[in-house]
Amino acid sequence: MRILGIETSCDETAAAVVADAREVLSSVVSSQVDLHARYGGVVPEVASRAHVELLTPVVAQALVEAGLDDGHVDAVGATVGPGLIGALLVGVSAAKALALVWDVPFVAVNHLEAHLYAAFLEEPELELPLVVLMVSGGHTLLVLMEGHGRYRLLGSTLDDAAGEAFDKVARFLGLGYPGGPAIDAEAMAGDPTAIAFPRAMLDDGYDFSFSGLKTSVVNHVRKNPQVSTADVSASFQQAVVDVLVTKARRAAAEYGARGLVLAGGVAANSQLRESMLDACMADGIHPLLPSRSMCTDNAAMVAAAAWWRLSQDGPSPLDTGAQANLRLPVL
Amino acid sequence: MLILGIDTATAQVSCAVGGHEGVLASSHSIRARQHAETLTPAIAFTCQQARIELSEVSVVAVDLGPGLFTGLRVGVASAKAMAHALRVPMIGVSSLDLLAFAVRFTPRLIGAVVDARRGEVYHAFYRQVPGGIQRVSGPAVGPPDDVASEVLAGGEDCLLVGDGALRYPEVFDGLHQVEVADAELAYPSASSLVMLAHARALREQWVKPWEIEPLYLRKPDAEIGWITRESS
Ligand SMILES: [Zn+2]
Repeated sequence: MRILGIETSCDETAAAVVADAREVLSSVVSSQVDLHARYGGVVPEVASRAHVELLTPVVAQALVEAGLDDGHVDAVGATVGPGLIGALLVGVSAAKALALVWDVPFVAVNHLEAHLYAAFLEEPELELPLVVLMVSGGHTLLVLMEGHGRYRLLGSTLDDAAGEAFDKVARFLGLGYPGGPAIDAEAMAGDPTAIAFPRAMLDDGYDFSFSGLKTSVVNHVRKNPQVSTADVSASFQQAVVDVLVTKARRAAAEYGARGLVLAGGVAANSQLRESMLDACMADGIHPLLPSRSMCTDNAAMVAAAAWWRLSQDGPSPLDTGAQANLRLPVL
Repeated sequence: MLILGIDTATAQVSCAVGGHEGVLASSHSIRARQHAETLTPAIAFTCQQARIELSEVSVVAVDLGPGLFTGLRVGVASAKAMAHALRVPMIGVSSLDLLAFAVRFTPRLIGAVVDARRGEVYHAFYRQVPGGIQRVSGPAVGPPDDVASEVLAGGEDCLLVGDGALRYPEVFDGLHQVEVADAELAYPSASSLVMLAHARALREQWVKPWEIEPLYLRKPDAEIGWITRESS
């Protein structure tokens, strides 16, 4: 079964064709990052306008690359939330229109669930249960995946998402946007032990908090204007990574996870990948660090999640809308 | 030649199908649900009522706005996807043109006025010509007082049509040469869209799906969307 996936929840316009949630026949991502860079963050109205402009050519390219320019897919899946409402509505509307014309099922996909399925596209035989650390500009979640469609939310951020903290700190340090890659690069030349930034709630459950860390960075730089930006970047990054890895590792041990999976845009952070790999080696669990293109928003993961949802729940109704604050369907 | 018309630029969601026989079926609703929830089933229902298959549609027409951005994009994104999947061309028409077209039989000056929120309206002026209407000024966005000033400056009788005209009675009701059209004409109609598009389609005045862009008339607000906390 070949599924066309569509993703427009934030600032990537993406379409992909995936066969049976395993084989990626095409995956096209048109990033709007340059459009938003001068604002230092994603501007919803700018994103929505770009989706309208980009989606038709992106879908066309995904179909052609999959060898399906006659448009014969077996279902169309689209992200319906969470995300920016105006952006989501572009993808949902287009996906339902395509499903109606082709007379195939439409499948509503939860963006967070799609991130969980990205790992299976690269390693279809992953053994469950898994602990997934989902970190992006929009989300910071620690999820126990017990089975397909069976998730337990172990923890989430109480304030800023991890990627949001990177963006805000990078903006404050004048490193530009997006903040994750900018801080990652700057940190290469810095000492991660130079400044002892706080590790909020390190031993305290599975929830996260990053706004205090951001404030500490601001206060430290104001008090020490001569401080090296590289050291601040490296120390900030280390503080974020320490909290993420400590909690993910503890969760994996507590729930007897067979593997630990990284998901979301922040999963591309080199320090996080390295620390996660070391932790998994030390604890004897299987690390899964999907490629950068699978961590960041893409439509292949949407098509994969759509396949699982379709086989479990059947098609979604054509009066489905978008939900900006959709949550992961947890047990 | 069958035309599918889609209009979601205002508070109303409407669609219609028709061709040389006129409009075969149409649907419109004004309600609190998201445009995206209403539109797709409405298209399916309208085609069913007209006893046509979507595969028989030869042109997809869409209201390009100006209007409410989020709703407008639902229609434009849906229309582009349908035209792409059907491999047919598209025709885009302004919401202001559609409002004026619906009252084309008046000899007066026609002012189409769409609510733009934030104390402003989108507006354009038209005149009846054989077979339709011709735009004489606009489109523009500004306070309703701009519309009143333009009417007063012209010094002739004027029919204002659209939700933007009804929204500001304090501006328009006192002007003696102005009449505001009823609420039933306050929103662009997909039936007008199908008829206007049919005339253009006969002259092959169509474009490719990727050439269609909404008519915003306003720059985007540069407000950053820290989307997230609530969603995780
Ligand atoms: Zn994401």
